[in-house]
Amino acid sequence: MIHFFQVTKRYPGGQTALDRVSFEIPRGQFVFLTGASGAGKTSLLRLIFREDVPDEGQILVNGRNVSSIPPSKIPYLRRTIGVVFQDFRLISRKTVFENITYLPRILGADTRSQKKLAYNALRRVGLSHRVNAFPLELSGGEQQRVAIARALMNEPEILIADEPTGNLDPDLSWEILRLFLEVNLRGTTVLLATHDRDMIQRVGRRVLTLDAGRLANDQELLGTDPPRLEPAAGETSADSPPEMEEPR
Amino acid sequence: MSLFQALRAFFREALINLIRGWKVSLLAILTITVSLLVGGAFLLVSRNLLASVERWRGETRVVIYLQPGTPPDVLQRLAAEAAASPWAASADTVTADAARRRFQDAFPTLTDLVEGVGDEPLPSSIEIALKDPGQRPPELRAWLESWRRRPEVSMVDDDREWLHQIETVAAVLRGVGLALAGGLLAAAIFTTASVIRLTAYLHSDEISVLRLVGATEFYIRGPFYAEGFLQGLAGGLAASGGLWAAFTLLRLRRPGSLIETLLAAQFLSPAQIAFLVLLGGAAGLTGAVMSLRRESL
Repeated sequence: MIHFFQVTKRYPGGQTALDRVSFEIPRGQFVFLTGASGAGKTSLLRLIFREDVPDEGQILVNGRNVSSIPPSKIPYLRRTIGVVFQDFRLISRKTVFENITYLPRILGADTRSQKKLAYNALRRVGLSHRVNAFPLELSGGEQQRVAIARALMNEPEILIADEPTGNLDPDLSWEILRLFLEVNLRGTTVLLATHDRDMIQRVGRRVLTLDAGRLANDQELLGTDPPRLEPAAGETSADSPPEMEEPR
Repeated sequence: MSLFQALRAFFREALINLIRGWKVSLLAILTITVSLLVGGAFLLVSRNLLASVERWRGETRVVIYLQPGTPPDVLQRLAAEAAASPWAASADTVTADAARRRFQDAFPTLTDLVEGVGDEPLPSSIEIALKDPGQRPPELRAWLESWRRRPEVSMVDDDREWLHQIETVAAVLRGVGLALAGGLLAAAIFTTASVIRLTAYLHSDEISVLRLVGATEFYIRGPFYAEGFLQGLAGGLAASGGLWAAFTLLRLRRPGSLIETLLAAQFLSPAQIAFLVLLGGAAGLTGAVMSLRRESL
């Protein structure tokens, strides 16, 4: 699914963000990416959705060589990848519905289809009742849920999260992490960058550790307190959204 | 997404942006309006001047004034000679007596000037209607020159000479208008480009999200192109409306005046109005394309 082969990334000024990093993430795996601040986590994630290009090495995502993909094809790659950030990146002047339906609109979906998709995505993150709210009316945890809903709109094959719980308190962080684990249960490959070692210890799963741009460790951890997961509600529903408000 | 769907989405988004950022949009619209208003005004004036020239051309005559006291038989002989020319459609005689009466009819308050002077104060003349008043070949000019040299003739007056001067003035006006409007339009394009760049900057958060979820460059830039085009169209429409208002006002305030006849006899044709509006749209679109070409967004 994701294959890094001897990938090196240097920034102008000569600073090496990633140094000959190699790993492979099979389809459907949940992987933590950890390391201290500045270790190269964000740089690595940016390479996957082609926000950056490596200086050396090859990156395969869904069988496509991301390094050599032409600029005109980048949008099509990104439509298969959901991305969630620490700062949510929601547009404050747009409603929740407008924030999460960018991709369907780009794809030319009619309003009815957009509503269905929005309903399903918001139901999965437990926010179908906030469809008309503006981001600033929501709590931090709710905003991150909306960002996750946006990332899930097109049923991506890969979900990438860059410190998604960095701005949240421990309880909310745990809720958000559960969401990612539930998404992974449905077969989506999840790569989650975090420096929260406690969370990783508690959940377990595969952990890639970066240290000063190098892959220092690649290990499988058994969690000390893994959450009990259930498939997310409404995940296959394509019916009309009964309890969702009419989007404004 | 089909092209039609995309265009509909672009214009919807552009309209929302125009309404939300109406203050900066107004600046772009106003600069386009001013440039098109200036260009349109020159176009309107030159159009009316040229129309007046065309109208007068049909009434132009070459008038040959004879020496005072020229006998009627000489007048008739010279008129027959003029009429026989290949350039003349007709040649009418105006006796000194008829010239005086014509003057008195045209200027009743100045009747005293031509009465009680003794001999007829105005000369007899031959009025020649040319077959093709629009033509000014050298042979015709040579023919008129030969009349000027004749001893019986005191003066040859060719109406077409001052018509030609008006035509030149209209052409100069049109050229000045084009140059002025071109300069102003260039300024308007730069203003639109700045406004669109500012709008793009204000939407940079949304653009990054669009890019993140897989929007193509066409989809990202489309609404900004549409916004520039709409600003230009609005400027073109406002300029056309302004011209119409000025035209109507002039006709209402100065009905039948020389200025109305000369400059406001007719408004721009539908094709010219459409051209003005589309020129505004093209200017706005050019500004948008220019601004986003230099921006990586």
